[in-house]
Amino acid sequence: MLLLQLIINGIQVGALYGLTAVGFSLIFGATKIFHFAHGASFAISAYVFYYLYAVLLVWWPFAILAACILVVLFGVVLDRYVYGPIQSADGSFFTIFVGSFGVAVVIQNLIGTVFGRGFISVPSALSRSVETLPGLYVAPTAGIAVVTAVVCFVALQLFLGRTNIGIALRALSESPALVRTFGLNPKAVSTCAFALGSLLVVPAAVLTSMTSGLNAAIGGRVMLISVAATIVGGVGSLRGAACAGLLLGIAENLALWRFDPQWSEAVTFLILFAFIVLRPSGFFGRVVTS
Amino acid sequence: MWPLRKVAVLAFSMLVALAGRASAQDLRIGAIFPLSGANADYGDLYMGATELAVSHLNDTKALGGRLSIAYEDSQALPQQGVIAMNKLVNVEKVSYVLSAFTGVSKAISTTATRSRTVAVNGGGVGPDLAELGEYFWNVIPLANFEVRAMAPYLVRKRGLKRFVLVYVDDPLGQSIKRELESSLPSLGATLAEALSVSSNAQQFSGVAARVRDAKPDVVYIASFGAQQSQIIKQLRDNGVTQQLASYSGFAIPAIASLPEAKGALFTTQRIDWNSDDPVTRRFTREYQARTSRAPTAYAANYYNAVLLYGTLASTLQKAGLPITGENLLTKRREIGAFDLVGGRVTFEKDGTIRSAMQINEVAGEPAVVETVAVH
Repeated sequence: MLLLQLIINGIQVGALYGLTAVGFSLIFGATKIFHFAHGASFAISAYVFYYLYAVLLVWWPFAILAACILVVLFGVVLDRYVYGPIQSADGSFFTIFVGSFGVAVVIQNLIGTVFGRGFISVPSALSRSVETLPGLYVAPTAGIAVVTAVVCFVALQLFLGRTNIGIALRALSESPALVRTFGLNPKAVSTCAFALGSLLVVPAAVLTSMTSGLNAAIGGRVMLISVAATIVGGVGSLRGAACAGLLLGIAENLALWRFDPQWSEAVTFLILFAFIVLRPSGFFGRVVTS
Repeated sequence: MWPLRKVAVLAFSMLVALAGRASAQDLRIGAIFPLSGANADYGDLYMGATELAVSHLNDTKALGGRLSIAYEDSQALPQQGVIAMNKLVNVEKVSYVLSAFTGVSKAISTTATRSRTVAVNGGGVGPDLAELGEYFWNVIPLANFEVRAMAPYLVRKRGLKRFVLVYVDDPLGQSIKRELESSLPSLGATLAEALSVSSNAQQFSGVAARVRDAKPDVVYIASFGAQQSQIIKQLRDNGVTQQLASYSGFAIPAIASLPEAKGALFTTQRIDWNSDDPVTRRFTREYQARTSRAPTAYAANYYNAVLLYGTLASTLQKAGLPITGENLLTKRREIGAFDLVGGRVTFEKDGTIRSAMQINEVAGEPAVVETVAVH
């Protein structure tokens, strides 16, 4: 029963990892910007939801809507007013990364100053597990996480495959010059990538605020998982990032079956290392030749 | 022109000399606290107490000049602590430094010994802290004493014999594990499982599954900061209904106000907050008024650490001796016993205070922590 419990826990955690990883992968794949502040987007949406829902007692759909609006705004502002000027000044990949890292540090400290650096969580009956079979405990949030992840991913695939802006996003990841040839503005398409990628962290952030709880430094962990999942899944592959997020969540939990909990985080790096050595292109990535 | 210039130089020299004299009378000590990062809640708690002690000492004019504290941020990390200690010793030239957290305290102890600077710990409880040399003092009983108070209470009074330990794999967690391993068999109890977690882990649903699988009577948590709240919440959310127990790391407002922590037991040194002794009464009353928080053992410890400095420095000043680490140590040994919050305390030869312990229960709303037994 322990094994089954760990698999179910892993699927829940993996679904949330997948959602955050897909957002990062979408931005990175389309714009080639290493958006380190993706973790900050996660933290912002989680804390906004916490403040509105748990402190101001705003109805939860409004709290989620406000989190969505703010986090999209954050992503768009970063793209337009931080990354854009750096790119215009021919800033290198590393310069943009440092800029993004700086933003993440500022946001972490701002959250710590406003909300405190201690642990907070959104009290909810949804995070309370019930014994569904003898010795097997499942919380409603597990089902919500899986269903939300599937719905978001399917909706994203439809958006990217069947809308003009979605197709433009895919084109941007292939060739910005091609986007320009078709009369589109790569900057505007890039902004859409940031808006959409940032939006995707909201469900994971809201559910995490209920299940694991939050602290001001949570963005760092989110980034670690997002980067690992993007590499394991194959850079630029959203399907790969989603599957890799799920794999990392399940592997982390399955490690507990035989090893001490402190080794479960090392599993993430072992998988990452194995993919870098044995399959550098990841699950679904393409081999890039220069 | 020459006489005028000479007068100006003379006046300037006198001003500098006077300024130097004034600053020589003022006293400064150092404090290495976690002021940022996941454990900043502790630093905030400690500062509330140290600032209160400083204002009390300055109000009573017990010292020849005004006392102030130079704060440095350790982030609860040993390497940051060493950087902070070097700055306090070499730049600020302090002779007395307040320290917190077992790892940080151990890291700064070598500098304390080498520079003959007194380092006083009021928050770390790793038993190793009693072995860091004569310049390292502890105004808090260490974890081995906490486990020795808690384990018999749980076994004999509560009839809980099967323990599971969830601990951070650091010197503190390891020492608690060793203490449980050595003390439980003699009590007729067992340590069924010891699950180590890394200090930055945030997911504990799998740990909860392992805990449930071990079928414990009691789960002992040896973590600190935001993480221990996460562990409690996730254990409770994931079907762990057994008694929770811990060391004095639970003596923070975040745990007292966490609904899932209701009923958890934890040890601290014995402090009667309703005591009639004037030091305790003044601290309890003014700490609550100043911080809007109930006093905790940690707050009392750091208040005591500053008060201890005040007593020693004042005695040295009266004797016309410089306030150096060596003289502070000599004077502490001479005086022997001190009136601090909680009553009269004495130091053991290893520089650690010995104190009676108490078992506290997190009583939930409205965040009251009750004393349920005293050892």
